[in-house]
Amino acid sequence: MTTTQVRAGGGLTGAVASEWTKFWSVRSTWWSLAGGVLLMLLYSGVSGLSQRFGDTEPPQGPHDIVVNGSIYLTEFCVIAVATLFVTSEYASGSIRSTLQWVPVRSTVALAKAAVLVPVLFAYGVLVALLGMATAAVLMPGEALTTTFGDGFAATAGMGAFFALLGVLCAGIGFALRSAAGTIVVTMVLLLPLPMLLSAYVAPEIMNYFPAFAGLNGMVPAGETNPLLGGVSPYSPWVGVLICLVWAAAGLFLGASVLKRRDA
Amino acid sequence: MITLRGLTKRYGEKTVVDGLTCVVAPGSVTGFLGPNGSGKSTTMRMTVGLDRPTAGSVLVNGKPYAELKHPLREVGALLEAKALHPGRSAGRHLLAMARSNGIPASRVEEVLATVGLTDVAGKRAGQFSLGMGQRLGIAGALLGDPGVLMFDEPVNGLDPDGVRWVRQLMRSLAAEGRTVFVSSHLMSEMQLTADHLVVIGKGKLLADAPVDEFIAGNSLSSVSVLVPTPVERDTLARHLLTRGAAVEPGEAGELVVTGADVGAVGDLAHELGVRLHGLGERTASLEQAYMELTASSVEYGVTA
Repeated sequence: MTTTQVRAGGGLTGAVASEWTKFWSVRSTWWSLAGGVLLMLLYSGVSGLSQRFGDTEPPQGPHDIVVNGSIYLTEFCVIAVATLFVTSEYASGSIRSTLQWVPVRSTVALAKAAVLVPVLFAYGVLVALLGMATAAVLMPGEALTTTFGDGFAATAGMGAFFALLGVLCAGIGFALRSAAGTIVVTMVLLLPLPMLLSAYVAPEIMNYFPAFAGLNGMVPAGETNPLLGGVSPYSPWVGVLICLVWAAAGLFLGASVLKRRDA
Repeated sequence: MITLRGLTKRYGEKTVVDGLTCVVAPGSVTGFLGPNGSGKSTTMRMTVGLDRPTAGSVLVNGKPYAELKHPLREVGALLEAKALHPGRSAGRHLLAMARSNGIPASRVEEVLATVGLTDVAGKRAGQFSLGMGQRLGIAGALLGDPGVLMFDEPVNGLDPDGVRWVRQLMRSLAAEGRTVFVSSHLMSEMQLTADHLVVIGKGKLLADAPVDEFIAGNSLSSVSVLVPTPVERDTLARHLLTRGAAVEPGEAGELVVTGADVGAVGDLAHELGVRLHGLGERTASLEQAYMELTASSVEYGVTA
């Protein structure tokens, strides 16, 4: 019979708790996250050693190395984990269960984001710290060191970038409902599109796309970024803000499609 | 209680559900019958808010599904058994489900025991057989201890023991005062399980009546006579026609007579000296009633 006693739960809180359980109870999550850590360890290890044995120009500190590692490698694992979190629901048909449990569709989209943001922020912080530690151990004593400001920007910036990139992927995932489509669109937004626009339209434009805004968010104001060598036209906080706008726009698009379509 | 009011779903030009109006009442098992593609699943999907009606409405306990604060505590639905992530264990699937609606985690153990899946709670759902998946789906429907239950073809893939178990489960859920709405294209199954029938064909309501009334109202009882000799068969048929009965040839020397009872046919054969190899009454089954109704669904309006 329908229970008459009043119990808490349900609504957004229940939806977040449910998504949290779903997120951690499939292997793809663990594989993707572990893969991203391994890639960062590999990259920072090799980069640290090349500082010791090779002649890297310009010399890089541990904070520079992890920033490069996140853009070259780990971000793709973040894309995978966030994309699969949404698109596996369509591939398996479990979206129809999810929407029966939580029939308010915007709540479903918000709940996914609410799981991705803290998890991927903490993940970015962890990956940055592990990478910097690995690089620092393997680098020679006289190499470029990481100040607190550099380290803080790289760590917090990476957390923010991963969290917001994840939300953007989730949003695109709800809109496209296929893993391949979501990954292709996200990658195009990250690299080729901003680079082409910068080459043919306006050089500054790339700084307003998520990957480059995320990169600028990981480098303290006024310092050159290790990947492209330029100086960001805005402060790191603005970089994070630009990522936030992309993430919000992506999630809004995804939630609108989710709301309108039959499941 | 489920209330459908002029419920309609169109995909482009095609009308899949066409102005359904009916009430599915608590305390009984209501069978939802129709041939494949008649709109049963779409109706159930609209009931839980997966598909949006083109027109009309469907309310559960007086509200649209999406407005229920804790939908799983009011409506349990088994729509597709395999609507789950194949890599997630059965237990985790149910736990995620419980958390979404603030249902205590202890219910997961309880429903797993009810459906007999306790031993495989840690197994990935993708490795489940069709029957186990069906049981897991039923466990999910029961999880929130809801007053309204909907099952779309629940016995698909179950072995005979499982079929009997589902039948008993539905009867006991209804006996507890719950609303039980079960779709099927298996008439024989409904005859054993349902108290009330809602029959649709091509998306339209064909009947909404208690099972007994449905069978009585939708079938003509007939008499089957086996006459081995063709000449005598013709003689008997001719005489039956003159007395106002309808006669159709059946299989291998059989005549199917409607509009005359078995005694009258026997007496007539005796009077005419026609030799019979068989004489019997055909009792109408739900199957026949259903076939007759849906075969020409356009001609029939709403009965009952």
